[in-house]
Amino acid sequence: MTSTISPPSGPAQQNGRRDPESPGGRGTGPVTRPRREWRSKLGALDVKASPYLYIAPFFILFALVGLFPLVYTFVVSINDWDLLSGAGEWVGLQNYAIELKDPYFWNSLFNTFSIFMLSAIPQLIAATFIAAILDQNLRGKTFWRMGVLLPYVVTPVAVTLIFSSAFDEKYGLINNLLQMLNLDAIGWKSEVFPSHIAIASMVNWRWTGYNALILLAAMQAVPRDLHESASLDGAGSFRRFFSITLPSIRPTMIFVIITATVGGLQIFTEPKLFNPSSSTLGGPNREYQTTVLYLWDLAFNRGDFGKASAVAWLLFIIIIGVGLINFFISRSIASAGATSPGKTARAARRAANKNIQRSGHSPAAHDSKEHRR
Amino acid sequence: MKFSRHTRTATAVAGAAAFALLAVGCSSGASSAEPASSDNPVTLTVTTFNTMGFDDLYKQYESEHPGITINATNIDTGGNALTDWKTKQAAGAGLPDVQAVEEGWLGQVMAVSDSFTDLGEYGAADIKDRWIPWKMDQATDAEGRVIGFGTDIGPVGLCYNKDLFEKAGLPSDRTEVAELLGGENSTWADYFETGKKYQKATGKAWYDQSGFVWNSMVNQLPEGYYKADGSLSIEGNTALSERWGELADGAAAGLSSAQTQWDWGKGQAFLDGSFATMVCPGWLLGNLKGGIEAAGGDGDSGWDFADVFPGGPTNWGGTFLTVPTTSKHPAEAAELAKWLTSAKSQVEAFQSAGTFPSVLEAQTDPGVTGSNEMSEFLNDAPVGEILASRAQGIKAQFKGSNDSVIQEQVFGPATIALDKGTDGKTAWNDALTTLKNLDLK
Repeated sequence: MTSTISPPSGPAQQNGRRDPESPGGRGTGPVTRPRREWRSKLGALDVKASPYLYIAPFFILFALVGLFPLVYTFVVSINDWDLLSGAGEWVGLQNYAIELKDPYFWNSLFNTFSIFMLSAIPQLIAATFIAAILDQNLRGKTFWRMGVLLPYVVTPVAVTLIFSSAFDEKYGLINNLLQMLNLDAIGWKSEVFPSHIAIASMVNWRWTGYNALILLAAMQAVPRDLHESASLDGAGSFRRFFSITLPSIRPTMIFVIITATVGGLQIFTEPKLFNPSSSTLGGPNREYQTTVLYLWDLAFNRGDFGKASAVAWLLFIIIIGVGLINFFISRSIASAGATSPGKTARAARRAANKNIQRSGHSPAAHDSKEHRR
Repeated sequence: MKFSRHTRTATAVAGAAAFALLAVGCSSGASSAEPASSDNPVTLTVTTFNTMGFDDLYKQYESEHPGITINATNIDTGGNALTDWKTKQAAGAGLPDVQAVEEGWLGQVMAVSDSFTDLGEYGAADIKDRWIPWKMDQATDAEGRVIGFGTDIGPVGLCYNKDLFEKAGLPSDRTEVAELLGGENSTWADYFETGKKYQKATGKAWYDQSGFVWNSMVNQLPEGYYKADGSLSIEGNTALSERWGELADGAAAGLSSAQTQWDWGKGQAFLDGSFATMVCPGWLLGNLKGGIEAAGGDGDSGWDFADVFPGGPTNWGGTFLTVPTTSKHPAEAAELAKWLTSAKSQVEAFQSAGTFPSVLEAQTDPGVTGSNEMSEFLNDAPVGEILASRAQGIKAQFKGSNDSVIQEQVFGPATIALDKGTDGKTAWNDALTTLKNLDLK
């Protein structure tokens, strides 16, 4: 950036500053001065404003499709707003107060977090181990790696249709198998916990391979000599995995956790299409009605745009809250894990000398360490 | 190289912008009041849902009216179509020139009836005798504006499986079945009593699930979830709670097969003898046929259609064609709606989709009363004739603003609870709690 900006502006600025200092000038003064001043001003403006201009497209787009809807949603949420007949009275924060007391709102939050936990935790564990296996010297590496990504290619709608049929209570594949084994059929679409497992399984099926590939990339960045020296010291493969691989991929792990959180809290397609014939969205008694589904129901079935907007804002605040928690956790893990990645850290570990290790760190890592103490 | 690529992109963008401007210019230019002709082409957009049987009719209309192009969209289910309409109505943009509106939406549609063109301005009065009177009443708003032309109606008859009836030792001929259930004066008590006999003889369920039975029980009452003045009337409504008691009693006796609505195990439940009867509005015959075919069955599956309905004649569903005020060609759109709801078009629609016409002349047309694909599928039952008979004496019920939400979100779960063994009183009280939580008006 600086190199493209400075050449034209640099000399112009210097000339502009020099002129007033030498009053007589050299004859060229009176004619060229106004033009030069104009150019210098332009140059100064260029230096100051151009960077903003270059990043402006993102912010203009964000203002249009991000900020404006956000603010508009808030305006809607403080009004008694019907979907069809439009804005009614101004009601202040009443919509928020009502929603915070609505049992269905809390039910939807519980469902969202329950499905999120049931999907995120097994998914990350499975993804890590799949990545670890893919990290070995396998034959046909590319085949296996592309293979785990296949579920991600299929659209969630198609995934949901297939799973929905398999989880059907009366005629579904899974219940038929259970009954063949003389087990009781499970109410996959009408009981709270089974429905959460069913939906989480769809999420897992789709995202495990994707996350496994990201973690695999991180694992491959772990220097092999670390593994070698550890095995020379007599560490087994499990020990190496838990003591070297896992700590080394922490930053990537945090990225995966954060994206899974944001996606998980906004889950919509899977519960929406899990039982499309259900009269109430998200199960007959809202067994798996997630917050976004609840919001959608409020806005488009019950036509209460004001309350739906209030729920949207509440969800927004909750996601920010969870995001902040993630941020703090990631910061503490990142500084704790700062001893493992990076060349200096590796050199330091080899030397097994704590003092060297510390001096090799960046000031930022130092700060955060001292801060923690 | 880089430079030339940039200029090329810029040219492309400029070109696209110019084209867009041109397109906008064209579409606004065509909104003149002149009638459509080959010199003044008009494109009409139409949104329908489910199976309405209009596809061939569009082509016919286009060839008879040079200059008119029909751009039709069909949405899979009524529920999705309602969401589509509501979203576009709320956004104030994107509505088609002709919008199909379902009876169940009327409460919501009438609340914004001024956003529909008054078809009275386009000759509704001249053709008002086309329809059975109550259909016309339903499409007229409080100020007397006609906002829709009726297409089909949903008179309800009884589907039954004659093979299963025979096995249970019950009469299986369709006139005998009608007699068995009380004929003209059939009551719900008759229906449930016969069901209990069937259940005792076979150990199998009598009907598919409680939800559809409940819907028809409610639709049949002079006033349903709302009083005619528009006020909600569920708590303390004895007509409703008495019928709920009968339904709960039936479910407790094992008469319900607890099937999933609109799914029936992808049609398998129609073939495996899970239940012997089903309440059947005309348009549901299409679902029955589709389900049987999806599960690999055919016209030999034993299903038949009887001219009887417990509790008397009732209507469930039916559709109107409306012209939203956002249409730029209201005259042409109204003309198309008028043509699609003519007797001739309605007969053709019935033949391709089984939708029973609300147009009187079409109801008695041999094309409707005679044999067709649907009647052959249902053991040669004269489907058109039976539906016409079931349409006698129907009174239109007032639909309140949240009628469909109450049907689906309040009584949907409650009827499922009945099917799963919850006792009637608990399920009713749960429904009232849901109603309170939903805070509906």
